[in-house]
Amino acid sequence: MFSLKRKKVPSPSVNNDMLSKQRRYDSLVRALHGDLYRYAYWLCGDKHIAEDITQETFLRAWRSLESLKDDKAAKAWLITILRRENARRFERKQFDYSDVEQSELADKVSLSTEDNMEQHLLRRQIARLEVEYREPLILQVIGGFTGDEIANILDLNRNTVMTRLFRARNQLKDMLDDTQTRGHSNG
Amino acid sequence: MDELKFRREAYENPQRRDADFIAAMGESSQRAQFVNDLKRFDNQIEAALNIDVPTGLEAKLLLNQQLHQHQVRRRKMGFTLAMVASVAFVAGISFSLFRLGPVDLGEHALAHVAHETVAMQSSLDISYNTINSQLASLGNFANARFTEQPGRVFFSTYCDFQGVRSLHLVMQGEQGKVTLFIVPIEERMILEQAFADNRYQGEGFTADNAYMLLVAEHHSDIDNIKNEIQQTFI
Repeated sequence: MFSLKRKKVPSPSVNNDMLSKQRRYDSLVRALHGDLYRYAYWLCGDKHIAEDITQETFLRAWRSLESLKDDKAAKAWLITILRRENARRFERKQFDYSDVEQSELADKVSLSTEDNMEQHLLRRQIARLEVEYREPLILQVIGGFTGDEIANILDLNRNTVMTRLFRARNQLKDMLDDTQTRGHSNG
Repeated sequence: MDELKFRREAYENPQRRDADFIAAMGESSQRAQFVNDLKRFDNQIEAALNIDVPTGLEAKLLLNQQLHQHQVRRRKMGFTLAMVASVAFVAGISFSLFRLGPVDLGEHALAHVAHETVAMQSSLDISYNTINSQLASLGNFANARFTEQPGRVFFSTYCDFQGVRSLHLVMQGEQGKVTLFIVPIEERMILEQAFADNRYQGEGFTADNAYMLLVAEHHSDIDNIKNEIQQTFI
């Protein structure tokens, strides 16, 4: 008797709300699932875990979609959720997936061309980069965020972010130069 | 901008477009080359970061949400169903408890007369033998009966006094019709000597092992019928 009354009165607006929420969610998924998945992958270093985290993230986003006021902020909002989901993973289990993955990563890619070879090397170096340097770099390069935005997402001060970006590129270059010269001298 | 600051800024973000940086870059071809190298390196990083997204991830995300939504709806449905069920349960329990509670005969008699308009419009003439056979089938008082016709009886039927089967008679008084209820005695009944509402007056008394309730518009009618019943009813 309650349910009947409750359902009858507000149904048109509720249906409309549901529809627009659904549409909003759909477009968020379409536009951002790739970036979110990539971010998750570079955060945890495992394809399957990255997929799980992405799913959890979007589910959580669906549940609290009302709290996203400005659609332009959607990407940063989703990344914040994703980072929280990733942190939750460590609360749940103490396995360190990324260690396992980084050593495995080497064998998975076909080394048909020199380009691939280079890219593969670079991926390995990025995976080796400490996460505190890796994260701002990913946010800048894939996410296209400015220093201020990155500072906001990571809850750091802007100068720290810029320093980490500097070190990230610096370390990558060093590591790459290192392996290349070693490769040359070996060859 | 000195060299150190320039290089640092370039490393922080080679794509930057602010005037200071652009100007500093234009100061020498070496600087431009340096930034270009970094940009190329950034492109490489971007390509390296751009790992393949699993096919069907998008569909999976949408499906996941749909399933979740479905479950939520089902859970909500279950909750509403449980609510409705428990409300019905409580209603059922309280109703049956209510029926076991004390019954105010007077009030009920008035309500009964007010609602059963058919009884007052009836113009039959029922013999006391018919009434006696009805009384006999009430069970509780097989011996109770009328010894002779108690005036004209317009209407006689069984009725329900909060779960107790009783007899409902309409008789002729001097000034109007008088309703008589014969109710088998039960513990939870409360009999009032006199009761009334805006229109009707009523009186109750015990005869043999039955409650007798009289309801009429005029008090004198009640007294008359009461006398008559006390003489004819054993």
